[in-house]
Amino acid sequence: MQDTLLLDTLKVKVIEVLNLMNVKPEDIDPDEQLVGGRLGIDSIDVLELVIMMEKDYKLTIDNKELGAQVFGSLRSMANYILENAKESAN
Amino acid sequence: LIPLRVRIAGTGIICALGNGVEAVNQAIGADASGVGPLTRFTVSHDPALPVGACPDLTPNTQPNPTIALARIAADQAMADASHSPDAIVIGVTTGGMPLTETLLKQGSTTMDDYRLHGIGTVAEDLARRFDCQGPVLTVSTACSSGGCAIALAKTMILTGQYKRVLAGGADALCRLTYYGFRSLQLIDPEGSRPLDKDRRGMSVAEGAGMLLLEAADEDFDGIAVLGTGLSCDAHHPAQPHPDGKGALAAMRCALTQAGVAPNQIDYINLHGTGTVDNDRSETKAINQLFDDAPPSLSSIKGATGHSLAASGAIEAVVAVHAIEQGRVPANVGCRHIDPDLNVTPVETATRQPVETVLSNSFGFGGNNAAVVIGRNRPQGKRPDTGDVPRPPLCAIGWSTVTGAGFTDTTLEALVAGNASRGVLDTATLCQGLPPGVIRRIKRLSHMTLALLAQIQASEATPKPQSVYFGTGWGSLSGTNDFLTNLYESDEKFSSPTDFIGSVHNAASGQVALMAQATGANLTLSGGDTSFEQALFSAQVLVDDEAPVLVVGADERHEKLSPLFDGSVALDASSSDGGGALLLQRSATPTGPTVELVHFSNGVTGDAHLQALIDRLGGAHAVTSRYGLIMAGIPAAHREAGEEQLDRFIGWCGFQGKVIDYRKLTGEFATASAVATVLAVFMAQAGQVPPPSAGTDGAAPGGVLMLGLGASLTAIEVKMP
Repeated sequence: MQDTLLLDTLKVKVIEVLNLMNVKPEDIDPDEQLVGGRLGIDSIDVLELVIMMEKDYKLTIDNKELGAQVFGSLRSMANYILENAKESAN
Repeated sequence: LIPLRVRIAGTGIICALGNGVEAVNQAIGADASGVGPLTRFTVSHDPALPVGACPDLTPNTQPNPTIALARIAADQAMADASHSPDAIVIGVTTGGMPLTETLLKQGSTTMDDYRLHGIGTVAEDLARRFDCQGPVLTVSTACSSGGCAIALAKTMILTGQYKRVLAGGADALCRLTYYGFRSLQLIDPEGSRPLDKDRRGMSVAEGAGMLLLEAADEDFDGIAVLGTGLSCDAHHPAQPHPDGKGALAAMRCALTQAGVAPNQIDYINLHGTGTVDNDRSETKAINQLFDDAPPSLSSIKGATGHSLAASGAIEAVVAVHAIEQGRVPANVGCRHIDPDLNVTPVETATRQPVETVLSNSFGFGGNNAAVVIGRNRPQGKRPDTGDVPRPPLCAIGWSTVTGAGFTDTTLEALVAGNASRGVLDTATLCQGLPPGVIRRIKRLSHMTLALLAQIQASEATPKPQSVYFGTGWGSLSGTNDFLTNLYESDEKFSSPTDFIGSVHNAASGQVALMAQATGANLTLSGGDTSFEQALFSAQVLVDDEAPVLVVGADERHEKLSPLFDGSVALDASSSDGGGALLLQRSATPTGPTVELVHFSNGVTGDAHLQALIDRLGGAHAVTSRYGLIMAGIPAAHREAGEEQLDRFIGWCGFQGKVIDYRKLTGEFATASAVATVLAVFMAQAGQVPPPSAGTDGAAPGGVLMLGLGASLTAIEVKMP
């Protein structure tokens, strides 16, 4: 499922939370690898994103396996948010 | 006479397993664990994560929990001592934080409430307690602090200048470390399980370990610190090198210094925090060093928890008693050994002959310390210290940053007698630094990287191999941001990045990363003498010609600086900054030499002023050698400092120029680092006036840097 609005929101959030100076939202490809990729994001940054997910989306990600899956790319983050929002709606 | 051995003359210990050697030994013998429910403070989540708390300690223990722990262990270590220690070296990371974080939460703006905040207050308290009049040093290299303190203390004794040094570490439980490690997901909810296949992290703990170290003859009968090794991974601010590269280097160095082969080690006390990464990288390094056949090994952190700066010292004490009792402690907490680690830890406390122990401590910033403790052995080779005078440390590069700007503008202002006060804006400070690095570090690290980058601007300048960093107050921005986020979210959220950045050695770890400096990486902290402590440590530990970076820096934080630093509070304007010197030992120096020639903390009476003059060779030596005195008088000690300066000048009959430099730099703890860079620059440029007593123009004037006020320090800068 595509949700451009959510992807755009996440781009801004990731840049802000990780203080990615010199990166503009439009520079981030939703499918590019987040951790260990071009943006220089590592596992400590992932933990900052974990907090962001908890703060802003009330989603707890407390194990590495799930984290690796969720933070694979911006799109996987968006999908995880959408799926879990759906689950809680059900 | 230069001593050949460093005897362990007394030990003291308090940790989650108990108070005192006897209680701890009993607990170790029973494979007991002291890790249990958190009761010290309430937390936002349920259940709270287990911790290693010390018996009978409360948040209100006076004067504060960290000092109380240090006193308990130090009293035990000093119980049979007939003399005061000549020096004290203590590893501390939390210091006054247990109280400070509560005061900040309550919104206290009363300066006096924070008087014991500084991590140096722990060692200073012990100095008063045991009437120590020599150097009082505080090492803050995160979780390796205790090991680093022992390494520094041992080497001080081997220089022949100190007979007895009290060394150790102390840290108390606080929210900062609890929530910090929680935000990093490094706390095991079931309690630490080192080497377990299901391990999920450490248990944050507290405690203190102390050792009275004494100079001894080659053939004394007893237990000694046989060797120590320090290194830096220069890999990541918070994660160990995946193959344990730095750990291996530190262990190799300690073994070489001790003169023992790997097969002569009877027991390895692991750092063994129980985090996935530490246990993997540490065991990799061990298997490499011991050819996949290591001796008995265990981590006691499943039993004690991880007491951070105290752990290296606590485990050194445990090593001493493993040797004395002929018993190795169990690897408590581990239920299913991780087969991938390829080691078999001690399952239950076991009687076996123990002559020699290797004990590891690793910390944030990739900071590694390894200590070899053992029965004195004749074949031990002592490191090359003291017996042959070492060549001086010569400045081959320098830089500074102040409110006036970078090196050129700062020095131009200061040489002309103008102020360099102020706070350089972040955009200017970070000019040219890699965006990928500066995005998650704060002002103090921005400063140290800006200092390094200026020195390394010329490709011809060699890179430093080791780093010695002095900071009065550490990363105030990191600490403040971490606690602010924590409290504003009702203790629900805290930033792992801010936690990593809040440790005192974060800024020197960043320097090591950028310079790929894999040698020793020490951070020293103690208010106004912090830069002097760093220079002192470099002089003690640097024994070869590899370049070393000695840095002093402090950041201005609008809220915290005036609360913590009495001199800052008295300054109407805001200032911060720092200075860095790239030094190299050279028998034929071509640039200015820099030497700390006197260092006593907390003692400033006339007798000490006279001792300083004697140390410098008497009044005539002062007037015939120095053309310039730079006086560092912190505003909080202005009156006393000016009196000391007048007396010094009067007694020596010094008629040369005096620069009261804090009036130019503004007030910050490491202003002396900026002034020392100024002195080096002036000496190199031939701008130091000739000595007032005149030497027929034979030698150019040197600069004497005096640190006055609550302590007495002297640094000599002169052309060779």
